[in-house]
Amino acid sequence: MSATTTSPLNTVEATSDTTRRAGLFAPLRWEVRKLRAQYRAKAVLLGAVVLPIIIVVVIHGQSRPPKDTLFGRFATVNGFALALLVLGFAAQWVIPLLTAVVAGDIFASEDQHGTWKTVLTRSTSRGSLFWAKTLTTAGFAVLVLVVLATATIASSVLIVGHQPLIGLSGQTIPATEALRLVALSWAVMLPPMLGFTCLAILLSVWSRNPAVGIAAPVVIGMVMQLVGAVGGVEAIRPFLLTTPFEAWHGLFADPRFTGPLSQGLLTSAAWCALSLGAAFAMLRRRDITGG
Amino acid sequence: MRRTILVILAALVAVIALGSAVIATGGDSSTVTRPRLERSLTTTFTNLYVTTAHLRGRDITAASLNAQAMCDKAGAENKDIGPGGDWNCLMSWTDPEVPMPPEGYGKFELNVHSNDCYTAGGPSKLTGFLTMTDTQGRVVTNPLFEFDGCFDADSDNTPTGVVYPSLLAVASTVVTPDSNGNASLQVTCGSGDQGCSGTIAVAAGDTNLGTMPIDLAEESTTTVPLPGKVPTSASEITFTVHARTGFGPLSPVTLPVQAP
Amino acid sequence: MNELLAVDATGVTKTFGAVRAVADISVRVAAGEVYGVLGPNGAGKTTFLRMLFGLIRPDSGTIRVLGKTWDEHGVGVLDGVGGFIESPRFYPYLTGRQNLEGLALLDGGTRPGLLEDVLDLVEMSERADQKVGGYSYGMRQRLGVAASLLREPRLLVLDEPANGLDPAGIRDMRALVKRLAGSGLTVLLSSHDMDEVEEICDNVTIMKRGAVAFHGTISKLRTMAPDPGHLLSTTDDDRALALARQHPALLVVRDPDAALVVTGPQPDVAAYVSTLVRDGIDLLAFNQTQTPLEALFFMLTDDTTHQTLDRPVELTQAAR
Repeated sequence: MSATTTSPLNTVEATSDTTRRAGLFAPLRWEVRKLRAQYRAKAVLLGAVVLPIIIVVVIHGQSRPPKDTLFGRFATVNGFALALLVLGFAAQWVIPLLTAVVAGDIFASEDQHGTWKTVLTRSTSRGSLFWAKTLTTAGFAVLVLVVLATATIASSVLIVGHQPLIGLSGQTIPATEALRLVALSWAVMLPPMLGFTCLAILLSVWSRNPAVGIAAPVVIGMVMQLVGAVGGVEAIRPFLLTTPFEAWHGLFADPRFTGPLSQGLLTSAAWCALSLGAAFAMLRRRDITGG
Repeated sequence: MRRTILVILAALVAVIALGSAVIATGGDSSTVTRPRLERSLTTTFTNLYVTTAHLRGRDITAASLNAQAMCDKAGAENKDIGPGGDWNCLMSWTDPEVPMPPEGYGKFELNVHSNDCYTAGGPSKLTGFLTMTDTQGRVVTNPLFEFDGCFDADSDNTPTGVVYPSLLAVASTVVTPDSNGNASLQVTCGSGDQGCSGTIAVAAGDTNLGTMPIDLAEESTTTVPLPGKVPTSASEITFTVHARTGFGPLSPVTLPVQAP
Repeated sequence: MNELLAVDATGVTKTFGAVRAVADISVRVAAGEVYGVLGPNGAGKTTFLRMLFGLIRPDSGTIRVLGKTWDEHGVGVLDGVGGFIESPRFYPYLTGRQNLEGLALLDGGTRPGLLEDVLDLVEMSERADQKVGGYSYGMRQRLGVAASLLREPRLLVLDEPANGLDPAGIRDMRALVKRLAGSGLTVLLSSHDMDEVEEICDNVTIMKRGAVAFHGTISKLRTMAPDPGHLLSTTDDDRALALARQHPALLVVRDPDAALVVTGPQPDVAAYVSTLVRDGIDLLAFNQTQTPLEALFFMLTDDTTHQTLDRPVELTQAAR
């Protein structure tokens, strides 16, 4: 070995008492860097751009509108209605899936690759890693939603048009106001979407299996959707994480109502807090025996 | 793996337990109620009616329309609460070009969802068909043929006080006496307030066969025996309805007699 | 607390379900020392090292690393500690360099140029820009050493660093560990190979089924060493094993490779061989295989004398 190869060893004693601590920012940068290197993240973003455009083109080409969904009646002739139809469809399972692809994997993949021991033997606490991963997935969820919403609204308006929209009280909404409300409707998907992000994180930590972390939130979402649609159990509707996905309806009523929006925000926050709390408790107490 | 299955089972049990507890304790907690539906449907219909009239080149104001609705879920025995495809709403409005039928209202069928949104289909005679022609000659979707609406779960839930009588109608199309001359008649009572009651006078030509009392709940059908034997010579029977509650046919109904 | 001790573990116990992985272990490693933890697979070495790194919480006992404990200092315990547990693992979709850069971020940064230096040291500079997914086992092992050195540790913990390597790899890894040990670092080395430990370590703890079987210096261990072992292959191993009962001074066990291992004083070995020949059992092979220390290790860690060796239970499996 040459002189250069011994240099790190010679300095070991010189730097004998370095107290280093990575704050929250460094692990966050690391998680973002890992995410950027992953094929799945790029695939999700690409899907969020391409899929809405394909759906818009296909529905626009239909001779009969899909009228069994809200706003489906005018989807082939009104761009805003089409953007809202896609929104209703996306909320059923697409949005939970898009966020779970990353959130359901980010903890379990450390188990999959056996890298918990690699990262936890550095100068970063479990808490810092947990929040770095959580913030990364939340940021990714926001990004995906923005991309999905932009692609949907832009393609619907450009391909189908921006006629005045008939609202949910039968009132006619002028195009500019309709555009604002459609964008707002997509934006209010964020709280329940983040709720599903937190749920996926919990399942990812609990199962230690990326497949469970990704698929289970989608399945749970669909079950909640079903339960919410059944008559007679309306009392539990406000507690379901899928109910806030429908809170935007109030924006298109006249007079406008926002009760479901604030209720949805509360529900989403509660789901998120409980999921993250449980996930953090689990991760903190866990013995890392694998890898 | 066993741990996973156990947790999933536990979660399922919890969900089912919670669900049944909710069903057991609070079945009437639905936000879908008659007053909210009546108010929402009236508003939505009025807005759409004005829009549709504009498409046809007519100028109608919401105030002049004065729409009013009475909603009812699945007959008399059911409470008027909760989502379902069995809501009926009776609505009246004022449009000089579209007079109401004699009973004074049109019947809308609603499919109401648990998320406080509904789809309503109107009577084509009053609201038109799937497509219509606008002032520029284009074929466009008729907004009134079928429409969606949503209402606020926190909105006013005090009764609107709008009631309409049920429509009493003779459902039989022929009278079929048996070998003894006994026959019966099927009558129906539609959606509305307080059901249908009254008498029906039965005559075969000039022969009076007597009168029979009727008393039906709303949204029900009943078969009543004719008060007298049908003469073998009779070819037609005339029924004259006198409704005490409900709205009966204004002119007598004449049905042919079919040999047994 | 005694600042001189790099590791001061007292009465450490850890149980996974019904399996007692580590039972009341005490280990003291002085600063600057090269310390070996020796034991067969499943003896609890790895569990102990994981507890040292805070990956596993002990049920009872205290572990003080460079004077700090997890309860008081949290992740600060690991300041000045580097190393890896079992085979080092990395993100396969990142290159070796990206992996190290990321780990450096988690360390709170490194000295400029150190990353290149450690890559050079483990001779991975040329492969550093390839994805780890394509690395061989030995390359990952070397990258693991590089990742540990990136922390500029005062205490280096290496868990079976030569495990799974080919003979050339084992030679290189031993040379590297020796160099590191010679540089004044405190090294805690776990191994199931007596040779490896004997070559490098000053002190050693031998573990058996979660407990300490021997604790002391290598020289003390040497004085305890028994007679050399012999690998014996016969035409009828079962009967030869039974005949060993006539020679109480000998330890005869069945090797996992289906041969017999004979340990004991030379005259008794000769007498045993005569017995076999007299009973009509032919010798197919007869070699001295174990060094005296290996034989001792074997004795210390195996209590199934005259029986087939148990297949050791891998701790990580038992823990699931």
